[in-house]
Amino acid sequence: MNFKLVTLLGVKIDQEVYEVIIPTPEGEIAVYPSHEHLVSLAVPGAITIRYSKDDSDDKLEHLAISGGVVEILHKSVKVLVDEAIHSDEIIEAESQAALDRAIELRKNAANQIELDKAYQMVDRHQVRLKVAQLRRRHRS
Amino acid sequence: MASTQVLKLRIRSVKNTKQITKAMQLVAASKMRRAQETAKASAPYTLAARKLLTALSRHTTTSNHPLFVIKPVQNRLIIVIASDKGLAGAYNSSVVKMYAEQLQIDDKSGIKNQSITIGRKASQFATKIKGTNIIGSYEDLPDRPEGLEFSTILETARNKFISGEVDAVDIIFTEFVSSIKQDVKAVRVLPAGFVATDKSEYTDESAYEPSANAVLDGIAYRLIGAQIFQALLEARASEHSMRMLAMKNASDNATDLIDDLTLAMNKARQGAITQELAEISGGVEALNE
Repeated sequence: MNFKLVTLLGVKIDQEVYEVIIPTPEGEIAVYPSHEHLVSLAVPGAITIRYSKDDSDDKLEHLAISGGVVEILHKSVKVLVDEAIHSDEIIEAESQAALDRAIELRKNAANQIELDKAYQMVDRHQVRLKVAQLRRRHRS
Repeated sequence: MASTQVLKLRIRSVKNTKQITKAMQLVAASKMRRAQETAKASAPYTLAARKLLTALSRHTTTSNHPLFVIKPVQNRLIIVIASDKGLAGAYNSSVVKMYAEQLQIDDKSGIKNQSITIGRKASQFATKIKGTNIIGSYEDLPDRPEGLEFSTILETARNKFISGEVDAVDIIFTEFVSSIKQDVKAVRVLPAGFVATDKSEYTDESAYEPSANAVLDGIAYRLIGAQIFQALLEARASEHSMRMLAMKNASDNATDLIDDLTLAMNKARQGAITQELAEISGGVEALNE
């Protein structure tokens, strides 16, 4: 089936895949070809892609996504998210440092704007760290 | 006539200025190209979201949804996008002019307003005006916003609209038509307008999780977000292209000025030589007599 990941900065992925795991408000759903038609929301988390049926777990690809919308049809899956980053692009140490900074900012925020920003930073980097760990677990 | 020494100094200073404006022109040109590419990038996102919304509108009505409800406007939120730095021709003054016009309109019709400013120039102007209520100002946004930077703006706008604190949200930005044409625009982002697109391959048998309304909420939110994001990107592309043009004009002017000054300097030098010769020959004549 065709998997399309569309972000605000353009189409990130558009290719044939075998399985996609998507985080939704009601838990993670694994989508295989011929899944029933479904429109749902995506929550910040990890999208996992298996390109071919015989791929082992260490070939899985992970992406950290922000919230969005998912449209599943028999032959295609479309995910609309604000931002998505591939696990290979995540630098764990950087994300950890950013997370620490964000937690610090959340404690000392001077105004509502800073506080909102801090909360979003915390969410974003927590998800990224989780995805980076997923990658490590599958590849080690 | 000024002395050659003074003219020489002036020529050197104009040349220095020209070097700077030329460099700024080149930097702006390359930034503009990048901004232009990014500005196009969000189009597939908006289109996909619109298609989903069209499909959804057959299942649930948008008119009752809090983000779509049209109310008489008594309070409104204005988001103004200008730049952090100057030297971009009429870029900031056009935005600020539009903003002032909008404030006047509100004043006349008794509408209260709040403002969010983006860019140092916008906040500098807004703080100078009496009676504006600035609820947030954002400065130094990166050239390539990643989504997070603008989502606090989106969140604020949505919360204020849903809670009924404001009845409309407008955004003032410079639309990037082409590299030589940019228009300042005031666009209403909330209440969300519904634009029907052609039917996608979508079938009506879809299930909605957790519910059609929740999905509608998610899509509407993303569409508004995409609109604000697009405005930010277009404003950025416009800024760079206007700065490029302004700097090109400045470089051209500097070239003209250097030509004029060089001519004046040559004349002055020639004049000095002629005078010196006349003095010498005058002296020789006097000795011969």
